[in-house]
Amino acid sequence: MTVTSAETVITATRARTAAGSAAVRRKQGFQHGAWFVAPFLVLFALFVIWPLLRGLYLSFTDANISGDATSFIGLDNYSEALDDPLVWESLGHSAYFTLLVVPCITVLAFLLAMLAHHIERGKWLWRLCFFAPFLLPSTVAANLWQWLFNPGTGMINHVFGIETAWLTDKSYAMLAVVICTLWWTVGFSFLLYLAALQGIPAHLYEAAKLDGANAWHRMVHITLPMLRHITGLVIALQILASLQVFDQAVVMMDFLPGPEGSTRTFVQYTLEEGFTSYRVGYASAISIIFFVIIAAVALARMWLLRNREEGGR
Amino acid sequence: MGRPGLNRRQLLTGLSGLTVAGSLGFAALGTGADALASGANTRVAYWNLFSGGDGYNMIAMLDAFRKANPGIDVKDSTLQWGSPFYTKLAMAAAGNRAPDLGVMHLGRVTGFSPGRLLDPWDVGLLAKYGVREADFNPELWKRALVDGKLYALPLDIHVQLCFYRKDVLKKAGLLGDDGRIVPVTSVDEWFDVLKEAKKATRKGLQTIGMWSSDQNFQWWFFVAFYTQLGGTWFDDADAEVTFDTDKAVQVLDFLRRHITDGYVDPGFAGGAGAEQFVNGGPFVWEGNWSVPVFDSAKLDYGATPLPPVFGEQATHAESHAFVLPHQADRGGAANEGAHQLAAYIVQHARQWAAGGHIPAYTPTLSTAAYKKLNPQSEYVSAMDHQATEPKVWFAGSTGILAQRVGPIVVSSTMGSARPDAAARRMKSTLTELLAMKNPMDGRTAAQGGAAA
Repeated sequence: MTVTSAETVITATRARTAAGSAAVRRKQGFQHGAWFVAPFLVLFALFVIWPLLRGLYLSFTDANISGDATSFIGLDNYSEALDDPLVWESLGHSAYFTLLVVPCITVLAFLLAMLAHHIERGKWLWRLCFFAPFLLPSTVAANLWQWLFNPGTGMINHVFGIETAWLTDKSYAMLAVVICTLWWTVGFSFLLYLAALQGIPAHLYEAAKLDGANAWHRMVHITLPMLRHITGLVIALQILASLQVFDQAVVMMDFLPGPEGSTRTFVQYTLEEGFTSYRVGYASAISIIFFVIIAAVALARMWLLRNREEGGR
Repeated sequence: MGRPGLNRRQLLTGLSGLTVAGSLGFAALGTGADALASGANTRVAYWNLFSGGDGYNMIAMLDAFRKANPGIDVKDSTLQWGSPFYTKLAMAAAGNRAPDLGVMHLGRVTGFSPGRLLDPWDVGLLAKYGVREADFNPELWKRALVDGKLYALPLDIHVQLCFYRKDVLKKAGLLGDDGRIVPVTSVDEWFDVLKEAKKATRKGLQTIGMWSSDQNFQWWFFVAFYTQLGGTWFDDADAEVTFDTDKAVQVLDFLRRHITDGYVDPGFAGGAGAEQFVNGGPFVWEGNWSVPVFDSAKLDYGATPLPPVFGEQATHAESHAFVLPHQADRGGAANEGAHQLAAYIVQHARQWAAGGHIPAYTPTLSTAAYKKLNPQSEYVSAMDHQATEPKVWFAGSTGILAQRVGPIVVSSTMGSARPDAAARRMKSTLTELLAMKNPMDGRTAAQGGAAA
């Protein structure tokens, strides 16, 4: 054995030892970490995974609310759902709501964030005003807007001098729910935009100014591109949340599906089938269908984003 | 000997364990502690759905019962009205955690799986506490029977009424010498009355509030007027739909005409009707539970059953009834207590009548105390001409039938569907429902026989 080879062996041994102790540390780290995530995993398995599997099983049965006299009926619930006009109608209402809310909330949140970011006096007041409604429970927000939309004594008709039957005319009912939702939830997206705006380095604007860029150029070439990721996030979160719209619509319509069923959303229909009609098997089947739709939307969004990023590289 | 083996972590573990065990222990103690505290021998758990004025009245009646029966402790719980109540009751009965006594709408009893989710009343035990079949309107009693057994003990009937402002009608010359509204016996007479009343109505107010966009109320009104025309729903075997679309069109046209002739402002389509009435509108069609509201507003008003515009008297009626949610081991003192409590409240329903309801226990109706109640005594005749939903598993207050057919009536009243198209849709919906299997037992209405 030469000296050189001996040194090599020693170096290699040291490296192995170091690697070994790192592995031991990683293992220990994993064990400690596992204890920290265990409560979450247990709850997740108990309240998400297990109900999901149980719901999947029930969707192939004619289970009722009392849980007995259940028999396996294969895909009958699914084929019934495809022929059920109320499934399509309520899905349409959820989609319509989403189409109205998502663009409005994205633009509104951006504009409010710009305002709160640039305004100098009373900055805190603006931020509080825009964000505060988000802190209200949905029932409070919905009740508030129910009063505001009241045809006889409500403020909206009074201020605008109109006589619109907001909550009882089927052409306006969903619009009323959308307006309430915008006011109530815009604060969350507003906060995301505001944080992102504050994260844009000031020197970019200074350099652009020196190069003679006006406010419009700075907005189009710096602000909007720098907010691209946040905009993507806001849109994705809003789509997923809006598709699942339920509580504010139900409370505003006094627990009914709105004038001529015009605000019956998919979640509400699932609830009606499961807990009013007692058809738990059928309700499970349509909620599984809804789960697949939402998962598809989320996956499509991930796929689109990945492609766009790869294309940009 | 070393130090006791207790480090900080073990101490924390021990303390948290104690806290959890303690709270579970207290929770378990809770139910027993109530009974112990009252010193009562028997404890009756009772679930009801009465809020607002009805809630106060029910609590007052329970307090009176407690005072009269110190040996029985009543543990009452008031739950949210409508579907949530029925869901909880069904799940509690299915899971063998049912209360000893519950309240339901009579129309829902048939669909609530009598025999599985509901236990029958012991008629002998009820008689022991003073309640007999002879004391009830026969139609009402019949609705409470399933397969010959009594599954519901009626407490009241509540009806849809035509409330009128005496001050406005007097100005319009529409009050008779007895201080009540002039009798109306046809559609034309009714619209003549509205025409005159409108002339005497202050600007900005509608002539009549009739919940034109509410699926429950519109359905109830439809049931009333369709019954006035002698309309039927299904044949005796519940195998064929006998719904008469021509009669339905007459009713739908009638309801719609209130809007097209300008007596109902579609802008005030929902609950604003009562508000307008309080502010001086001459008419509102409302449930009798609005009596306390109009009483407290100190209005000079009267109330009759819905006008018999199609000849026959009939107004929509539902009924609150006591039920025994299914318990695997029903019997013993708590069960007897439930019978005693229900019998007591049914017999002492004078207090209940203050809320506008018509007591089901007929001896109450002939008492001087009841006859003095106004306007209750003006519409007590509604007991004899009740228009009710068909006795099938999917019917009853806020049930599947109302949920499916109500919006169709609204679409016609509000003008987004023509009455003839709406009537055809109603018929096809009724056909679908009749073919539908009751999720509780997998049988259609026809296969369900008397239990439907």
